[in-house]
Amino acid sequence: MTGRTQGLLGLAIGIAVVIALPLVVKSSFAIDIFIRILLFSFIGVAWNLMGGYAKQLSLGHAAYFGLGAYTSTILQIDFGISPWIGMIAGGLVAMLASLPIGWLCFRLRGPYFTIATIATAQALMLIFLKFRDLAWGAEGTTIPNLGSAPLMMQFETKSAYYYVALGLLALGLAITYLIERSWMGYYLVAIGEDEDAAEAIGVNAPRIKRDIYLISSFLTALAGTFYTQYIYFIDPATAFSFNISIEAALVSIVGGIGTLWGPVIGTILLETTSTLLQSWLGGSIGGVQLTVYSLILMAVILWRPTGLMGMMREAWQRFASRKPARA
Amino acid sequence: MWETVAQAVINGLLIGGIYALVSIGVTLIFGVVKIVNFAQGEFVMIGMYISFFLANQFGIDPLLSLFVSMPVLFVIGVLVQHFLIRRVLGPNDMPQIFLTFALSLLLLNLALMLFSANYRTVHTSYSDEAFHVGGLYIPVAKLIAFVVAMVLSGALWVFLHTTDLGKAMRAAAQNRDVATLMGINPNRVFCVALGIALALAGAAGSLLMPFYSAYPFVGQVFVLMAFVAVVLGTLGNVIGALVASLMMGVAESLGIQFVGADSGLIVVFAMLLLTLAFKPTGLGGGRAR
Repeated sequence: MTGRTQGLLGLAIGIAVVIALPLVVKSSFAIDIFIRILLFSFIGVAWNLMGGYAKQLSLGHAAYFGLGAYTSTILQIDFGISPWIGMIAGGLVAMLASLPIGWLCFRLRGPYFTIATIATAQALMLIFLKFRDLAWGAEGTTIPNLGSAPLMMQFETKSAYYYVALGLLALGLAITYLIERSWMGYYLVAIGEDEDAAEAIGVNAPRIKRDIYLISSFLTALAGTFYTQYIYFIDPATAFSFNISIEAALVSIVGGIGTLWGPVIGTILLETTSTLLQSWLGGSIGGVQLTVYSLILMAVILWRPTGLMGMMREAWQRFASRKPARA
Repeated sequence: MWETVAQAVINGLLIGGIYALVSIGVTLIFGVVKIVNFAQGEFVMIGMYISFFLANQFGIDPLLSLFVSMPVLFVIGVLVQHFLIRRVLGPNDMPQIFLTFALSLLLLNLALMLFSANYRTVHTSYSDEAFHVGGLYIPVAKLIAFVVAMVLSGALWVFLHTTDLGKAMRAAAQNRDVATLMGINPNRVFCVALGIALALAGAAGSLLMPFYSAYPFVGQVFVLMAFVAVVLGTLGNVIGALVASLMMGVAESLGIQFVGADSGLIVVFAMLLLTLAFKPTGLGGGRAR
């Protein structure tokens, strides 16, 4: 078998497994964890487009998560518009917001770009906290529970949410796959390697960065809408939580920055670790989860900057080179 | 009216001295080692907890515990440079940003696990004392903190400009390769830079303790302020960071006085965004990188 057919076979088996998973696993605790894995993989995939390929290391993606969440919730509660439409509207609002934010932040490079993105996300959170007329202030609001209302993105079974999250992740991966193989993907990698050199050979770096930021913020906003519908609650502290920004970057770096499957692998590792820790320690001690996450992150940076994807590729190459060469 | 303004300016300048200690550390590390230390605020927190425990267990005045927190943090700085940062120095931004970011997350959450999220305070004999000058009110603890902060900043300036090691640090900041050719050992210089920067953060922590509560997230307040001040004061410029920090303190204090008690952060973000929009190279000019 060639590598390509092997890859396709693996992908087909993988798809069959993830589609069948909720049919086999009935525990709602387990499905809840699967949904978290799918959702954070998706957020990681959205971050990775900009942070991974173009190395624009944002720690402010909560801004778009929050804007998506608030747009669809305001449309639903104040105007009775379905969150399915609100989700797209939220994506568009996020894209609009990414233009001025990008205009400001892309003036800085490296660490100061990162700091500027943190500040913009925090500023948005403060706006939603301070201006009570805008949207419920600090108390937030609960989403009215309509029972089974698929048209309003409300389902009675957890497995329905599972398939929505799976659909989002599939969308994110498909977009990443297409971009990776297009001229844009090569431009992104060129900017990530050395922005000045990329510009010297004719890459319009400001435009490419703006465009990828638009796509990345649109996708992140979809996740915000889904999450709010899933937990039936919104407030500035959850919608614009710094932890969202951290986890988006963390799963990509741990899994393998700038790779298609990196964010997915990273999320599986981190979420599994966090679930195991919570079941051992009872989740009573604050700070345990992020302590472990930060240790994993430091270990990856110091010993395996290519992440788990890089480790797996090396292991596979060692394994493959041990076999006798075929004619 | 002008008395209210003058009082707000004084309050701002006094706390600005503390911001300056944090900012100078950030800008020193950026200038010499060319990395941004996201964990600088957590070292302020460690300084505060050192002073808190010394006061609580042994009754040592927080200002005296400066002589413990500064050396302890200097050593931590040398270790952080030698065992962590040294390994990620290179052309790649990602490991540098996320290593110190991971360190910040780690220290913050370790503090949360070890000390819980409770606010810790130390009450000293001078915590509630104040001078009254005209109609103005100058708290003693804040005035001491400001004076010590200015003395330490001045001492750093003298060190950088008169001693061989200080000159070597400035040389490494200007051009690392040429400095290495001149026989300067970059790792040794970097270790000293990290040590001094962290010692300043520790000093800020001890100086804060008589009038500010220690809690695991306390560093975030100061590091955010420091990042803005460092951009505003032109990256890597010690005097710029000092002046910008004092300005930030005054701006924040005026914001609290005239906009509302919880508007301090909004003023900080507004200043950061305005700086980025109109003067991304900082007030002193030069090139942002």
